[in-house]
Amino acid sequence: MLVALSVANLKSFTRDRAALFWTLAFPVVFVILFGTIFSGGGGQYEIGWVDQDGSPASAALREAFAKDAPVELSDGTYNESRERMLSGDVDGIVVIPKGLGAVIEAWQSGQRPGPIPITVVTDPSRSNTALAIQQIAGGLVMAANLRLSGAPPLLSVVTDSIQTRQLNSVSFFVPSILAMALMQLGVFASIPLVQQREKLILKRLNATPLPRWALVGSNVAVRLVIAAVQTAVILGIGVVVLHVQILGNPLSIAGFVVLGALTFTSIGYVIASFARTEEAANGITSVVQFPLMFLSGIFFPLEILPQWLKTVATFLPLTYLGDALRQTMVGGAPFVPLWVDFAVLAGWLVVTLGVSARFFRWQ
Amino acid sequence: MLGRPGTEAVIAVDDVRKAYGDVKAVDGVSFEVAKGEIFGLLGPNGAGKTTTMEMIEGLHAPDSGEIHVLGMDVRRFAPQIKSRVGVQLQTAALYPQLTVAELLALFGTFYAASRRQPVERLLDDLELGEKRNAQTKNLSGGQRQRLSVALALVNDPEVVFLDEPTTGLDPAARQGLWSVVRRLKGEGRTILMTTHYMEEAEALCDRLAIMDHGRILDSGTIDELIGRRFRERGVHFGRVGAPDEEKLKALPGVSRVAYEVDEVVLYTSDVPATIGALLELTSRARTEPADLMIRRASLEDVFLELTGRALRD
Repeated sequence: MLVALSVANLKSFTRDRAALFWTLAFPVVFVILFGTIFSGGGGQYEIGWVDQDGSPASAALREAFAKDAPVELSDGTYNESRERMLSGDVDGIVVIPKGLGAVIEAWQSGQRPGPIPITVVTDPSRSNTALAIQQIAGGLVMAANLRLSGAPPLLSVVTDSIQTRQLNSVSFFVPSILAMALMQLGVFASIPLVQQREKLILKRLNATPLPRWALVGSNVAVRLVIAAVQTAVILGIGVVVLHVQILGNPLSIAGFVVLGALTFTSIGYVIASFARTEEAANGITSVVQFPLMFLSGIFFPLEILPQWLKTVATFLPLTYLGDALRQTMVGGAPFVPLWVDFAVLAGWLVVTLGVSARFFRWQ
Repeated sequence: MLGRPGTEAVIAVDDVRKAYGDVKAVDGVSFEVAKGEIFGLLGPNGAGKTTTMEMIEGLHAPDSGEIHVLGMDVRRFAPQIKSRVGVQLQTAALYPQLTVAELLALFGTFYAASRRQPVERLLDDLELGEKRNAQTKNLSGGQRQRLSVALALVNDPEVVFLDEPTTGLDPAARQGLWSVVRRLKGEGRTILMTTHYMEEAEALCDRLAIMDHGRILDSGTIDELIGRRFRERGVHFGRVGAPDEEKLKALPGVSRVAYEVDEVVLYTSDVPATIGALLELTSRARTEPADLMIRRASLEDVFLELTGRALRD
């Protein structure tokens, strides 16, 4: 009877097109979307180069700029460059003022004229880009200053990367999206439960000899089957289409997938315990899932959140599932050790099981 | 209130009470149902019929009192009882995306294989064969009711509980369901049903309990219920153009005159005398009574007598 009920629940799920979309198509769309957004472009900046001087010195400066920095230069007048920046064709403008060459010549012949400004125009609304361009320009001007002053450079900077594996943004996203999908799967389990209670299906089943544990067991079994399918689909797309490398132990990955599915399904049961109607269940589910999605390090790493939001994140179960999956699947930098992830998720599971056992009403 | 002596009581309800907050939904109800009979709980909406049924079915626990089904205490032997009875809830509770056949097969798995009825047979008996592959969300009201009844029969039950089985059905569908219920009785099953339709109670029930406000007001066979209160018959005829009330009251045998929406009813213990005098009265005025009928008092009258209200709301 457990198998028959699970099959029946599964059929109900697959024939419900809305449920199918949210559970399978939605995370797949996300993975593909984020995958394509973040795997293109390599951080090149388009700079409009305005040379108002036209001297050999300014040409040399241009050469240095183009060679050393991750920039693509396009020449033009100040007005032309402004237009192009306003329409988004260039990310910033560097203006070499008239007289730069003359100043450099004067310096090189022993005079000490005052500093001449090189203007860098950036867009403050794109703070990351603006900062990057300012730093690039600043660095190059500093280097040019040093060369001009003739002092041999004493200190230099050599950059080295800490990640010994090829971890790119896509690798960050695939396990994160899987964690999100598992969260939604579990939390959305509340909706058919409440529907079935509203439609008196649970009441009708109660009039048969079917024991309660079989009813709950079949619901959970169905969620696990769907979780397995989701995992397979998301990983499949990640590996095949986006070339993510899955590096971890399959058993640990499977373990966390199952634990995550169980924990969030149990949270779904808690929601169903307190939602009287389907609308209420929808409402509570939204209120629960959106903060989880945005504050648990799914779409962007926790490091960029302000401190108080980071503190909030430590209370959210999805933070730990995302962290565990990133660690086990792609070797991402840990937020907390794996055993902590496990303990937190297991703790949430036990507590929510207790709450729903106490409060869930079958009618 | 008790069944005929010597027959086993398949259902025994003893002083059962259930309150929701201040509202006494069931306020001291006792009755017994004998094997093989159709027993009805008749009363208006809100009388406590469904709550009573659901306590017997094991869905709610009574606040006090005892309920025994098939000789077993519902509180202690619920799973054993549930495997031998069939339940049709007041509102059809169906998985929307499963087909009729799938749903019947699913419910079959909840019971021992020895009791399980073949899906084809259930489909035939309830005339749902055409719809066997239709998802339940696409069924009409009548089909949903029939499917609910079919679900109650998957385990070849000894006792069948029907809660308002024909509410919302058109007359043809209602007649169809009545013949199903009669056939179930013919197969030796015991049936407990609730209804607020007097015609249904008269058509199907061997014995009845009339309920209102959580209490049983009277119970027995239909003849007993009516006979206890009404020795008289009713002479019914059209109200338009009828003689004055004074004259009607003066007719021989008439104990009282009642006016319904479009008819006059003369309650009389001597039908021939009353009719004779009535016809004489009307022929003197060169008319005759329209749609003249003689009826015994109905359950409607019994209910009115018991509660001061009409059964229909």
